[in-house]
Amino acid sequence: MKKILLSVVCTLILFSCGNERVQKTPPDNKLNKCTLRFSWWGGDDRHNATMKAITLWNARHPNIEIKAEYGGWDGWTEKINTQISGGSEPDIMQINYDWLVTLSNDGEDFYDLNELNKFLDLSGFNEDILSFGTVNGHLNAVPVSLTGRGFFYNSEVFEKLGISYPETWDELMTTGEIFYENGCYPIDLDIQSGGTAWYISVVYVQQKTGREFLDMNGNLGFTVEDMETVLEFYKRLEENHVTRTVRERIDADGNSALYQSPEFIQGNIAGVLEWNSAVGKYESVLDKGVLEAGNYIGDENGNNSGWFVKPSLLYAVSANTKYPDEAGAFIDFLLNDKECADILGTSRGIPASRYAEEELEKTGKLDGLTKQNADMLDAMNTVTISPYMELSRMKEFYNMAIERVSYGKGDIPEIAQELYDNITEYLESIK
Amino acid sequence: MKKYNNPVGVSKFTGLLLISPFIIGSILFIIYPFVCSFVTGLTKYDGIHSPEFTGLKNYKNMLTNRHFIKAVGVTFKYTIIFVPLKLAVSLLTALLLSTNIKGIGFFRTIFYIPSILGSNLAIAIMWQYLFTRNGLANQALELIGLDGVSWYGDDRYALFIIILLRLWEFGSTMIIFLTALKEIPREYYEASKVDGCGSVRAFFSITLPLLKNTLFVNAVLQTISALQEFSAPYMITGGNPMKSTYTVGMLIYDEMFSYHNAGYANAVSWVLFMITAVVICIMFRLTGRIRKDIP
Amino acid sequence: MKKITIYIILVLIAVFMLYPLLWLVGASFKTNQEIYSSMWFMPMDFDFSVYFNAWKTNTGYSMGHYFINTFTIIIPKTLFSVISSVLTAYGFARFDFPLKKFFFTLLMVGMFMPAIVTVMPMYMFWHEIGFLDTYVPLTMPSLFACEGMFVFILIQFFKGIPKELDEASRLDGCGSLHTLVYVLLPCIKPAVISVAVFNFLWTMNDFINPLIFINSTEKYTLSLALRTSVDSTGQGYEECKIIAMSVIGLIPSVTVFALAQKKFIGITAGGLS
Repeated sequence: MKKILLSVVCTLILFSCGNERVQKTPPDNKLNKCTLRFSWWGGDDRHNATMKAITLWNARHPNIEIKAEYGGWDGWTEKINTQISGGSEPDIMQINYDWLVTLSNDGEDFYDLNELNKFLDLSGFNEDILSFGTVNGHLNAVPVSLTGRGFFYNSEVFEKLGISYPETWDELMTTGEIFYENGCYPIDLDIQSGGTAWYISVVYVQQKTGREFLDMNGNLGFTVEDMETVLEFYKRLEENHVTRTVRERIDADGNSALYQSPEFIQGNIAGVLEWNSAVGKYESVLDKGVLEAGNYIGDENGNNSGWFVKPSLLYAVSANTKYPDEAGAFIDFLLNDKECADILGTSRGIPASRYAEEELEKTGKLDGLTKQNADMLDAMNTVTISPYMELSRMKEFYNMAIERVSYGKGDIPEIAQELYDNITEYLESIK
Repeated sequence: MKKYNNPVGVSKFTGLLLISPFIIGSILFIIYPFVCSFVTGLTKYDGIHSPEFTGLKNYKNMLTNRHFIKAVGVTFKYTIIFVPLKLAVSLLTALLLSTNIKGIGFFRTIFYIPSILGSNLAIAIMWQYLFTRNGLANQALELIGLDGVSWYGDDRYALFIIILLRLWEFGSTMIIFLTALKEIPREYYEASKVDGCGSVRAFFSITLPLLKNTLFVNAVLQTISALQEFSAPYMITGGNPMKSTYTVGMLIYDEMFSYHNAGYANAVSWVLFMITAVVICIMFRLTGRIRKDIP
Repeated sequence: MKKITIYIILVLIAVFMLYPLLWLVGASFKTNQEIYSSMWFMPMDFDFSVYFNAWKTNTGYSMGHYFINTFTIIIPKTLFSVISSVLTAYGFARFDFPLKKFFFTLLMVGMFMPAIVTVMPMYMFWHEIGFLDTYVPLTMPSLFACEGMFVFILIQFFKGIPKELDEASRLDGCGSLHTLVYVLLPCIKPAVISVAVFNFLWTMNDFINPLIFINSTEKYTLSLALRTSVDSTGQGYEECKIIAMSVIGLIPSVTVFALAQKKFIGITAGGLS
């Protein structure tokens, strides 16, 4: 009886949780007739452009039909996770950077794109960029575009106060004081999904010490003392009125993002630290041309290292796909094809593929704040964000620490120690 | 041999036959997912890779986890404050809307609108304008000479704006009351009027006793949904500040999808399940005598 | 005098209840900048083309298409749910049978588990028998009366009907089903209608189930279509178009409720008048 019960339970476990790994289909180096599922999330621009690109592909390859599955960002992670758990994910997926860790931390759960080199041409990417998508030596995903957070300022407010955009940390602090006398703040730092409060403070310490917070394999480069410096620096930012305290911020804006805040629209908050690939939503709530890209902040000696870049989106192929070559060929089309590049434009950011970028450069499709900021980043000595830094749980740790510092619940050394312990314990548990 | 209390000529299988869809369905839609969830709760499972059996470790971790304990506290606090208020508000509006005056149907429809809106953008924005520092609520407080309150930013008050949101969506509970009010024969009130009873007395001596079963149904349903509350704090406060509005429902969701900790999420769900079962069981026991017996 | 007081109270509450809807309609004519900077509902100017564009949507299918999809789910689901819940509630309320306590407990217990943890096992189940990307996972479960809440409400209303009515009908030689349809159902019609209305409204707003089970855009429900253009991680989007879509999407719900509300209550019953 016990045995029967046990086997029933085991079957149930297998049935309910078992992600039956189908034997990987090896590439056969030819393009067969098939239908491939391709999924992405995004807004209208991206949907329209991608649908047009798919039409172009279908016209060129009547044998390989692409079936689009797309939607908004809300719930998309949940959907993809469920699909992957059930082994029924699409053949080709647009993925987020941290999904490399959550969905394929051993590098085995997405197809190794190096095996698809017959149809997927990676010569348009430099080694560095490809390394962002490499897990455990397997090329799990190809970055579509790169991005970094940059400063974007409300030029009217700065003009009115007669100050220029800060370029050193000291200038940033004095800017805070001047703004404060006029009842406003130069930038906004949050502890919501953006987590810019932590981000800027980590950059400061990276620049100062030359150490990286986390490496690509999730090894912690910061010491407890570094964490302490991070938190102390954030406290200084608040004390110098560079940014609102966490409490002032939610008292004024509730749970809304900054671009939805009257404070930002009316110019009481005159700047934001945002991904250059997402600055459009801030631009559109101010009058045209008011938002400007500011310089990255460095120290007095002109050292502006330590700022982050990351792939904003990547394409991956399911390890369960029956048609790897065909999937590789389609990704190649999305990334490198000139006609396709013209159609897609910057709907997924400034292309990381040299071929696509050259095409857009030629047709004059690259301009605006995104481009200005990307050029700045290109010229700097940047640090690549570890996908581990982007994990939701990690963000939760940073944000809680920042919140405690801001609300004054506990001493900074104590909070830093706890943060350090939480992070090391967590990283240990997922590796 | 047990005797079944059925009318003459009705076999003990008639009832079984009537609920047979439910019997089949319960295996598929209740027992099967519950067993899966329980088994998953005994594993370390990220939702992607093969689960690893860890026994009761998830449950042990909960006991020492500050956030879990805090979330349970928040959920209880929310439920205890919210459920009686919700019942009172819905019952009062149901009474108001059961009056037979011109245009009442129009008002009934309007009063239900918040419940139709669901998690529409309008609600988050409305709440922001009501409860931020210079919002309408504080302006009203200052008008009557009180100090404004830091609704979003103070961990003592943030839970109340979520309670207010859920109170504002009283529609469905109100409908159930309205439906039950209709069943009360009008003669009862006419008789009481003849006896010289005021409307307040009529409410306590006629309406309330006759509504006790409905009151119980609504109390049970509201308690269950309050204990599982997740979308309102998710939308309004994101669990902030200092986790003072972070409910167990949110914790389960985050562990499941944001933190890829499905094993733990399922274990927490089972604890929430047990808590709910105990609370509802107590409610059934305590009210057993005063309400007509429910099977 | 009393009537006037009631009207004043009603109107005051109504303002609070109605304002978000009013704001939504106004916001559908605003730019993002206007939407976020003031809670006043009046837009600076009206451009009705936004509704034309909203109806067209950007997905290649018009909102009409999504309405039809949504109703293809809602109509059978509501029907299934009402029939199965009424039968089950009738069984529980009026009959005694083996394991009754056990099944009633099961019914209640079904409501205690957060829905989110049952999503994964159900996904596996529908995947295994090949019904993903169809409406089956969204409608079929309603055939089995597993929405404990509806059954629980109906049991309560059955209990409120005097047993003498059944007995009289039985003496006339009517069977159990006949008694249910011709004697009991008319008595609890308002409750049955409210169950149907709840079903309709909640299915209309349901997002997570269609999201998980439906993949093809042509099969999307209205709730999914509404969020297809919303990308908070990207360069931003025009809020007014989505708001206009959601305003159009609210019309069936409000209409259904307005039509049904008379049925919840017919004669005067309350204690206040």
